[in-house]
Amino acid sequence: MLRVRNLSMRYPNGKLALSDFDLTVEAGELVVVLGGNGSGKTTLLRCVTRTLQPSSGEIWLGEVNLAELSGDKLRRARMKLALISQHASLVRRSSVLANVATGSLGRHFNLWTALGRVPADELAAAHGYLGEVGLASLAGQRAGTLSGGQAQRVAIARALAQRPDVVLADEPVASLDPEAAQEVMRLLQRLAHTEKLAVLAVLHQVDLAYSFADRVVGIRAGHIAFDTPCASLSREAVQGLYVSEAA
Amino acid sequence: MTAHIAPLPAAAPLASWGRAAAVALRTVLILAGILIAIQMLVVVEAKPQDLITGFRGMVDIVRRSWPPDFSKLPDVLWPALQTIDVALFGTVAGVILAVPLAVLAAANVTPSRYAYYIARGVIGFTRAVPDIVWALLFVTAVGLGPFPGGLALAVHSIGMLGRLFAETIEHMDMAPIHALELTGARRVQVFTHAIVPSVLPSLLGIGLYRLDENIRSSLVLGFVGAGGIGFQLLTAMNLFQYRQVSLLLIVIFAIVIIAERLSAALRNRLG
Repeated sequence: MLRVRNLSMRYPNGKLALSDFDLTVEAGELVVVLGGNGSGKTTLLRCVTRTLQPSSGEIWLGEVNLAELSGDKLRRARMKLALISQHASLVRRSSVLANVATGSLGRHFNLWTALGRVPADELAAAHGYLGEVGLASLAGQRAGTLSGGQAQRVAIARALAQRPDVVLADEPVASLDPEAAQEVMRLLQRLAHTEKLAVLAVLHQVDLAYSFADRVVGIRAGHIAFDTPCASLSREAVQGLYVSEAA
Repeated sequence: MTAHIAPLPAAAPLASWGRAAAVALRTVLILAGILIAIQMLVVVEAKPQDLITGFRGMVDIVRRSWPPDFSKLPDVLWPALQTIDVALFGTVAGVILAVPLAVLAAANVTPSRYAYYIARGVIGFTRAVPDIVWALLFVTAVGLGPFPGGLALAVHSIGMLGRLFAETIEHMDMAPIHALELTGARRVQVFTHAIVPSVLPSLLGIGLYRLDENIRSSLVLGFVGAGGIGFQLLTAMNLFQYRQVSLLLIVIFAIVIIAERLSAALRNRLG
């Protein structure tokens, strides 16, 4: 479970990107965050992964407050948090299987893994995760030869290899065609509903939010505009997110 | 009724000043070029008549070099192997030492600013001192033979390879590295699982190119006592054994061409 409490982020230039932000994502739930450009969606994810140090607030990953951690404690805690970004960020010259298996490296620090190898049981598990995203047949192929949709599914398999409690997805379908986007969203939904992970996805595609989300959170100017189950989400509320401040 | 457009009064004088400045600049540049060319010819004491007077001597050397003395071929094979192995030693040792230095000297992955500046300093220094100077120093330190040649090429290669390796790492896609860092992988795991696979083909290509360069350098290092076929060539020239000189030149030509082709073919396969 992921809980964000009173999270605020003010950039050095004075811009307040998030203000007293509260959000909870339960295990088994797919929450989609919607909002216009510059509304604070990506800042939220960067604060949760602690690639940005929030100005104030708490980020609870289970019983651990990530906001208080640093160094090796933060590294260990982050292993329970997987990030799928807009671009799959695979090592293009490595095989698909090797890319998936790197998700397990945080659990295995020894001479073997330091020399670029992966334990055999993790390779076998990685093969299984590739099967879950429907790409087992491409295990030996170079990651650089994959299509955008395939690469994103490999990134999801890598996230599974990490064995996280929480999966964050930052515009995971932004560069995909509609069919591939549907497939990736189906997989994220399955992570939530079948694997019982807490999944938080930032999207720009409102229709995908309607189709796959359990809950939708709207952000406007760093504040929560609404936080509602998908079934009760109105089109007007969503449209309100994309009306410029000046209008 | 015709529309009247008022002229811009300042435009015409400005344009003519611009043209005058351009002509003046061009004249200055041409004069500077001529001056540089003249001082160059004076400094190198270039005298075309020397080429004419020396022509007879050159023809004489060519005549005395023919035919190459192939009976000496078995004696040349060992120094030829030494030349190749000196280059191989210098390149392998250079690569082994240059890789960690390059990681420290790449701004995007260096663990600290101090390490960055120290690594850049070492790379700059080893590159700035020519390999033949390193060879003279190592001949003084460890004596005549191929070993100082190998050491000289290794040290000089650290600088050449270190800089190119660091630039390769700096230009790599950082997204897979950040992605792996977020999974909880340690720095050394990120290095071996993300950085190495991403840059390895480029590093091997650069290493092969360096081997090709080092083979040429290894020939020259023999002139200062660092063994190999270069030492044989110097000895044969000092003893006026021009038929042996021509044989050595043929062997050198063959080594250089084969190394160049092999290196290019391997680099193409890596690409």
